[in-house]
Amino acid sequence: MAHDREVLRMIWEGQIGICFQADSDEIVGIKPEPFYLMVSRLSYLPLVTDKVRKYFTRYIAAEHQEGAVWFDFNGTPLRLHYPIGVLYDLLHPDEDSTPWCITIHFSKFPEESLVKLNTKELLESHFLSCLKEADVLKHRGLVISAMQKKDHNQLWLGLINEKFDQFWAVNRRLMEPYSDQESFKNIPVRFYNDDDFTYMQKLISPLSESGQKKNLSDLMAELSTPVRKAVGFRTHGIDLHEETQLQWMSEHLSYPDNFLHLSVDYKSI
Amino acid sequence: MTDTEETQSAANTTSITSTTPNDKDAAKICVLLNATGNVPIIKKRTWTVDPNKTVSWIQKFIHKYLKLDQNEQIFLYVNQTFAPAPDQIIKNLYDCHGTNGKLVLYYCKNQAWG
Repeated sequence: MAHDREVLRMIWEGQIGICFQADSDEIVGIKPEPFYLMVSRLSYLPLVTDKVRKYFTRYIAAEHQEGAVWFDFNGTPLRLHYPIGVLYDLLHPDEDSTPWCITIHFSKFPEESLVKLNTKELLESHFLSCLKEADVLKHRGLVISAMQKKDHNQLWLGLINEKFDQFWAVNRRLMEPYSDQESFKNIPVRFYNDDDFTYMQKLISPLSESGQKKNLSDLMAELSTPVRKAVGFRTHGIDLHEETQLQWMSEHLSYPDNFLHLSVDYKSI
Repeated sequence: MTDTEETQSAANTTSITSTTPNDKDAAKICVLLNATGNVPIIKKRTWTVDPNKTVSWIQKFIHKYLKLDQNEQIFLYVNQTFAPAPDQIIKNLYDCHGTNGKLVLYYCKNQAWG
């Protein structure tokens, strides 16, 4: 079970300053000022941008006002179903104090490159699927399937309303090893490579063959190939120490979808 | 399923088997497609798929194969448990959820396992 509650709190409270700009091709009349907003790293763009959408709507041509909203950073469409912190760390890895400037669009949704999970309902079912998959990896799906619909609702409501206690009252159960075990069966984790949105997923056990708890240096060895070596991991804007245990990380540094989202630095050999 | 059968059944439809000649990097993945609920059955259940194909690519393939209407949707589930994201690649699913050398997928026209 997660003991370091302060760590959970700090991860939960992580925020990013975003400067939203209009797409100049969609504006009629005067160009609006940008819209600034602090958003939770753990949330998703469609969940935190109601106000942004409302603000820009009055500057947009009438035929686009009801359009499917999407965002880009320097021409890269932002995946609506990735946590905002994951997007930010992949595209804006050099931490600085200036807001992250992204553009909001009301038309020409890039259906080929962007999955259209753009409503709260679609995101909710995507989020629950992630929780289920994570639980399959951790507990063969036994914990989440023993939960009731109201528990699933509570997780979702805790996330969208940013209520730490509400979310963790249920998530705690997902973050405990099953019955008499000391660790999860496998660690739900997605590995990203800096320049790319596609991630790699594979079975990562928290324990070595001899039953020892694995740490990040073990994971580096596991991900390294004869041509490239994994040399560092980052998540939530933090460079991780190589002695950090995988089981502890999974319990404390996972996003609300119950996955660790790790950016991996590689060095060619 | 042998290769011969595969070629025959794929002949009159879009082949799910990638034939890209320069695809040397990874072996293809064996996918078992199961119908569930009120959806037509695809007789040939075992297919080989390029590991980098996405879930939405498979959904489109099934949609086309069954000649469904534009407004009908295909939902896909892994091992009757969860619905993978449309941009998830088959390799990731196989590496984490494959059993006995196969990735078992269930398809239907209505949401089945939430």
